[in-house]
Amino acid sequence: MTHSLHREGTIDSLDKDYAVFIYPARGYNYKGCEPRVRRLVEIVYQVGPANMIATTLRRNFYSGVTPEAVLDSIREGCRVFSVFNSRDKIRELLARFKEADQGISIVVSGLIDRVREIAAEVGLEPHTINLSLGVHGATGKLPAADIRQFTTMCGHAMIAPGLVKDALRKVKTGKIDSWDASLLLARPCACGIYNPYRSRDLIEELEPLYSVTRW
Amino acid sequence: MIIYKDTCVGCGTCQPFCPAGAIVFDDHRSTVDQDKCFECGTCLRVGICPVDAIQEPANVYEYPRALRKYFSDPTSTHAVTGIQGRGTEESKTNDVTLRSGPGEVGIAIEIGRPTLGMSLEDIQKITRALARNGVHEIEPNNPINSMILDPQTGDLKPELMNERVLSAIIEMKITRERLVDILRVIKEVIPELDSVFTLDVVTLLEPGLTIPAEVLAGIESQGFSWRPNAKINMGLGRITE
Repeated sequence: MTHSLHREGTIDSLDKDYAVFIYPARGYNYKGCEPRVRRLVEIVYQVGPANMIATTLRRNFYSGVTPEAVLDSIREGCRVFSVFNSRDKIRELLARFKEADQGISIVVSGLIDRVREIAAEVGLEPHTINLSLGVHGATGKLPAADIRQFTTMCGHAMIAPGLVKDALRKVKTGKIDSWDASLLLARPCACGIYNPYRSRDLIEELEPLYSVTRW
Repeated sequence: MIIYKDTCVGCGTCQPFCPAGAIVFDDHRSTVDQDKCFECGTCLRVGICPVDAIQEPANVYEYPRALRKYFSDPTSTHAVTGIQGRGTEESKTNDVTLRSGPGEVGIAIEIGRPTLGMSLEDIQKITRALARNGVHEIEPNNPINSMILDPQTGDLKPELMNERVLSAIIEMKITRERLVDILRVIKEVIPELDSVFTLDVVTLLEPGLTIPAEVLAGIESQGFSWRPNAKINMGLGRITE
């Protein structure tokens, strides 16, 4: 699971952050699904994701991998994880997915109310919801909420809280800019749904509030 | 993971990348605290070491340490389930599998998430609490199922107790009528835990992306609430096999 339903942040920030999964189902539509998944990935590229990974290649959008290499890598059962940074893009993507009608499960992870509006606009009838009932237990041991806005963008917890602090320190001390810091943070995310655009906005918002003790 | 001390130049570049905070300086060289390490492979995968001093040790696939790898590295294929990841496809393909069907809900307890990780003892605290309350429906295709020694008590295999993983998911499918009872059991075990968990509830939607009132009432009755964002299956899948 990509844990995307537990992304944390303000409503305004989450409204620029929609993860999309293309998911063939073993035993149901898995056999011979390559051309259909490939067609959907072509649409993803045409709409313009903020990040993306195909499970057959595991190299994200900023690794230097070409769209041709990603499309060539698609094999039976390949799943594709992506993230989009605007409501308009997600609307366009879903409209084109509907028109393409490839019969592969599509999941959108994002604000429920916004997805409801978009589904109604493009004429889709969502089937199932996975609700997040939040975090429980020894929550006092968690990193601070501002850091969790970054770390929860990688559902597998590959973005270390220490890396977020390190990136903020590097921006604050002028070593790198907020975009490069966001690409640095996106590197460990093996599921390709770390959103560097949202990350850049968060860094620019938070950086003035931080002080550094190490240069 | 291990860092070859003879090769390491002590630059410390790898240290902030470790989700476990397990890489520290020792005698001006970076070293991995083997107890803390989740074997998630992040330090190696990001390719950050300028001298290739980070390596995967041979024992990483030896039981029971291999559990760290299978439960913490999203790129590894689990030896039990044969798929990447710690859970099933849950809601993601429910439009074709109907895994959670009419009158049912899926529950996922994602232990160790976000970020903290946990010892397997925390999983046992939850499996025991569920078993004590007659809940034995833990998803058979979830790797946690293979770690349970006795489904009647919820005890895990004793040799696993010293292992730590980044996350593991207890998944189950129940009837909607049982939702309140199971959320009550989960709520009661919260004070016993040394780590954290995130909680998911999966349900079929009614027309217009309407969440069934019965499910929402069950969630609220136990003092839980739901976040404004969720994972939504858009209903575009089709059975072709």
